Amino acid sequence: MVLKLIKKEFYEFKKTGKLIAIIITFLLFSIMSPITAKVMPELIKSISSEITIIVPPPTWKDAFLQFFKNLNQMVFLIVVLLFIGSVAEEKNRKTAGLIVSKGVDRKKWILAKFFFQISLVFILTLIAFFLCYYYSVILFPDTNFEIPLQSCILFFIYMTFIVSLTIFSSSLGNNIIQAGGIFIVIFIILGILNMFPSIKNYNPIYLSSLENQWITTGIKWSSALKTTISSIILSILLVSIGVYLFNSQELE
Amino acid sequence: MSIITTERLCKYFKGKKALDNLNLEIPKGIIFGYLGPNGAGKTTTIRVLLNLAKPTGGTAYILGEDIRKSRNYLRKVGFLPDVPNFYNFFTAREFLSFIADITDIENPKKRIEETLELVGLRNEKSRIGTYSRGMKQRLGLAQALLSDPELLILDEPTSSLDPQGRKEVLDLIYSLKSTKTVFFSTHILSDVERICDRIGILKEGRLLLEDSIENIKKRYWKRRILIEVDDLEKFLERIKESLKPNSVEVKNSSVVIEVLDIQYTLKEIPKIVVQDGLLLEKLEILEPSLEDIFLEVTSGA
Repeated sequence: MVLKLIKKEFYEFKKTGKLIAIIITFLLFSIMSPITAKVMPELIKSISSEITIIVPPPTWKDAFLQFFKNLNQMVFLIVVLLFIGSVAEEKNRKTAGLIVSKGVDRKKWILAKFFFQISLVFILTLIAFFLCYYYSVILFPDTNFEIPLQSCILFFIYMTFIVSLTIFSSSLGNNIIQAGGIFIVIFIILGILNMFPSIKNYNPIYLSSLENQWITTGIKWSSALKTTISSIILSILLVSIGVYLFNSQELE
Repeated sequence: MSIITTERLCKYFKGKKALDNLNLEIPKGIIFGYLGPNGAGKTTTIRVLLNLAKPTGGTAYILGEDIRKSRNYLRKVGFLPDVPNFYNFFTAREFLSFIADITDIENPKKRIEETLELVGLRNEKSRIGTYSRGMKQRLGLAQALLSDPELLILDEPTSSLDPQGRKEVLDLIYSLKSTKTVFFSTHILSDVERICDRIGILKEGRLLLEDSIENIKKRYWKRRILIEVDDLEKFLERIKESLKPNSVEVKNSSVVIEVLDIQYTLKEIPKIVVQDGLLLEKLEILEPSLEDIFLEVTSGA
């Protein structure tokens, strides 16, 4: 049943143009990041002809710093915008009620959405990484493979948490506005909590900073262990609560 | 055997009783009209029966299964919501294919074509988002019928249709009578009178009346006769004198009288007409309309 429902999610993304939007976003930033890193110093120099600016020569690290910065900003935004209404809008449009009235298990219905979203992000992140790596190697032949790949794993764990949070917010809200509001409030709270050193290590948001740290200073799994484990636990909790909430809700 | 049985079914919303001890018994193979004014609790009943809302008290049995304990019966139920909303990006055929997929329908392609033919959407190739309300209603019926369910639950299936569309949908529902049980909520009384075997009248969550249309009409029959003669004043004087009717109501050129013994009255009227040299233009025994009964039941509640 879950596979059949995932198939529908894929079809919906394909038919509504969401799939092409998310693919273009991932691919665009994966190709642009190494190119931007390469040309940016030259660009800065050419703009200010009167002042002498000393810009260190770009390296593969700049390419991947740019890559993760883009993933954590633009790609993050697109992912949230495309996924946030997945449950809430179906409740609002009453299609959720229609499908559930056919005997489809509510838990499977939510999990199909979660698995589809997580698979899509995983596949696209992987493709984007390899594309970015490919162009980085062309522009910076000494590009390291292992460090950005492991940073990419951190990004994926971070996105698992973000997708879980969208599923939770969407299950709780009755329309896309409510779901978006719930997501933003939780995200702001997590952002504030990130300022406290004692909590930071358990905060999934900290993963996005660690990705860049690893690129500049090297891989330190020991420093990311607490954050990784707490992110996975929180993701499972959010999806479980989302399923529970949806199970106990009255549909139209 | 009953297809739907509700036992003291209750549903409260923030203290308001949307359903109040509902006891219903719907036998197999009938078309049941579920009537009530707006806000009476018709849609709430349907939502509870379909497990979309949880009952506050009591329970219901559908096809022998307790709705509080099982959801398996939903596979044998077809449901048309009052405002049918579907995935706008699908075409009708694609949508039915998805429904066939999640409900494990055998030989889906053949079944989809048959159902589309039945509702007149076989040649429709555009996306659902472009459909008119009537087309969506027909697609709603198609998805409800796709799995060939034993029970059809239709929430106001004709409310948004034009007269032609309404006739088509009612004919379609009527044609299912021998093979399925239909639970049909509406506030359009003429639709009910046309196709239903039994009706239930609901108001403020309480079932006020439940019986076959025939029995209800017998029960609410008022022994009323409509008469038209050429000299109404003369006739009125005579009947008041000799028939002593319970009530007399003059409507334009005719008079409606309510009497105790209808057989006696029917014999006496022609005699009066002949004796007084009147011309009898019309004589009709008035049956109460469902609308009259509905208004009487709901206003008296």
